Amino acid sequence: MHTALRAALLATLAAAPLAAVPCLARAAELDIPVLVPITGFLAVEGASQRNGAVLALRKPPAGITIKSSVIDTGTSPEVAVNALERALSDGAVAAAVAPMLGTQMLALLPVAEENKVPLITISGTAAITQKHNPYIFRFFPGDDVAKAAQVRYAIDHFKIAHPAILYQTTAYGQSGHAEILARLKEAAITPVYEDGLDVAVKDLAPSLAKARAAGADSLLLQLHGGPTALLMKAVAASGWKVAIIAGSGLTQPATTALLEPGELAGACAETSASPESRETPAMAAFVDAYRAAFDATPDGFALAQYDATNMVLAAAAQGARTAADITKALATMQYDGLAMRYRSDGTGNMAHSAVIVCYDGASRVPRVAWHFDKTP
Amino acid sequence: MDLGQIVFNLLALGAAYALVALGFVLILNATGAVNFAQGDLVMAGGFAAVSFASMLDWPGVLLLPLVMAGLALVGVAVALVAYLPLRRRPPESVFISTIAVGIIAQNAATLGFGAQARAAPPLLPGGDGPGQKLAIILVAAALIGALYVMFMHTQTGRRLRATAQDRDIAAAIGIRVDAMVIATFAVAASLAGAAGLLLANLFFVTPVDGANYILKAYIAVTIGGWGSIAGAVTGALLIALFEVLWPALPLLLPGLDAISGAFSQTMSTIALDIVILLLLMLRPQGLFGQAARSRA
Repeated sequence: MHTALRAALLATLAAAPLAAVPCLARAAELDIPVLVPITGFLAVEGASQRNGAVLALRKPPAGITIKSSVIDTGTSPEVAVNALERALSDGAVAAAVAPMLGTQMLALLPVAEENKVPLITISGTAAITQKHNPYIFRFFPGDDVAKAAQVRYAIDHFKIAHPAILYQTTAYGQSGHAEILARLKEAAITPVYEDGLDVAVKDLAPSLAKARAAGADSLLLQLHGGPTALLMKAVAASGWKVAIIAGSGLTQPATTALLEPGELAGACAETSASPESRETPAMAAFVDAYRAAFDATPDGFALAQYDATNMVLAAAAQGARTAADITKALATMQYDGLAMRYRSDGTGNMAHSAVIVCYDGASRVPRVAWHFDKTP
Repeated sequence: MDLGQIVFNLLALGAAYALVALGFVLILNATGAVNFAQGDLVMAGGFAAVSFASMLDWPGVLLLPLVMAGLALVGVAVALVAYLPLRRRPPESVFISTIAVGIIAQNAATLGFGAQARAAPPLLPGGDGPGQKLAIILVAAALIGALYVMFMHTQTGRRLRATAQDRDIAAAIGIRVDAMVIATFAVAASLAGAAGLLLANLFFVTPVDGANYILKAYIAVTIGGWGSIAGAVTGALLIALFEVLWPALPLLLPGLDAISGAFSQTMSTIALDIVILLLLMLRPQGLFGQAARSRA
């Protein structure tokens, strides 16, 4: 009996290190689900978001393994909530890549708070970081940054005085519209025409004609990619030479692919970054890696989500292992990503810079015309 | 933007919508069932045009027969898979099966082409703008005219109409009803394919466009009269009227400037829906419909 007991103890001691190895391995494994809209009207932007996150997760820091799956959130809030709850039920989630659709993010806020899990997103909807939720981290410049850049550039460079605003009736469009109005009011400029457009509207010529008849000297756009392309075509077809300062929808390669370079001539747009402009060697390397991985050209959304995911991995490299660790790191760290330097302003806004890109009419690849940093 | 240009744009958009609604109403008449995949067949037509254009580099007018033929085959497949096995079941079975077909088509397009919008080639080489819109009006008018001739002046058309009027009597007099139903699906799908090509040049095509087109077709047929071919065309033109003419009214009638907010794009949608509600209250059978027809 004594011998048997000793043998059992020896066997247990011998097995202990072996058992510890997987335990240690599990301790270094981070579960980072990717919840993004890869179907529905935001599928193009959602695919960029997914690709950016997946590319970053493929290269975790030494000693860290990643557990991750991509879950489609579609475009409805309840599907997004179900997706997050399903991901949370699978185990200890360290952080989640969360959808860029503002209405979905608003629905996810209480779930993140209840489960104390940080959400990293590139949603531009201003309200998501105005709810005092400590688990939301937005890596795309909010409307307060992006629209400030758009309006400031329009005033300084194009000398606009009588703008027309065309915006989408989605949460994205209305949020941006409100910010554009606020920035114009600060500059004592009153728009001569405003129109909200449903994403299903096909013929934009009437809105364009009314803006022209109202005496607009410029068009400030807050439209998704497809409608932006429709509007650019309508402007070109009308022969109206008007200053166009668009939202980030214009800067997506999927949008510019629908247009001839001449239809883009002279137009400018705000975005978080323009990777295809290859401003730095690191940016060029990112573009090449992205193309090799996904056979597509990255846009600002892809780069922002890539940076966001890499910031979580950087926190992990510094020892963060749990959702609480990562939440704390994201709230306090400063991280130099490819697009910009990220740091929280105390409410989860991590991105405080934007760029203005402009098209010369000879190419679909824009040049970066201006860097904008929001002063604290 | 003058009245002529507005009417031109209205007719081009309305003509394309009319093709969508016509396909919808043909199947409705032949089977008594709503084909909820009709909008996704329009989307499929757009992507078929994009595919053929990448291989052949032809203008749209030459691709049109190819797209229509390809979609006709798809229509046959839809009939064989989603209608014929369920034709003796309650109509709801066909509703669900065609919804399933639509979802499959949408996801197949996402897998095959990606989520981004694509543009089909113009009907005429180098054509954008007025020439393209005129071509759309002429092509749609020619297709509607050909459909009229086929239905009214050919033996096949008479059999199709007999099947649409009463399937049991048609079978009793020796018409092969199932073959007629399959032919109707093929014609309806080819019309959807034509609409897809026409719309995908001016307005692009994405995998999620089908839901928008089936909604417009349903509204057009409800306005025009459940089962009425002339009504479907009229309903489609009325939808285009609200999308194109309503927002432009302040340009044509400067006196409306004071209430220009009532003529925004958003308000045009609300105005159309108010008209539909009024129509349903005052004339539930639609503009050209018969009072006794049942609605799904």
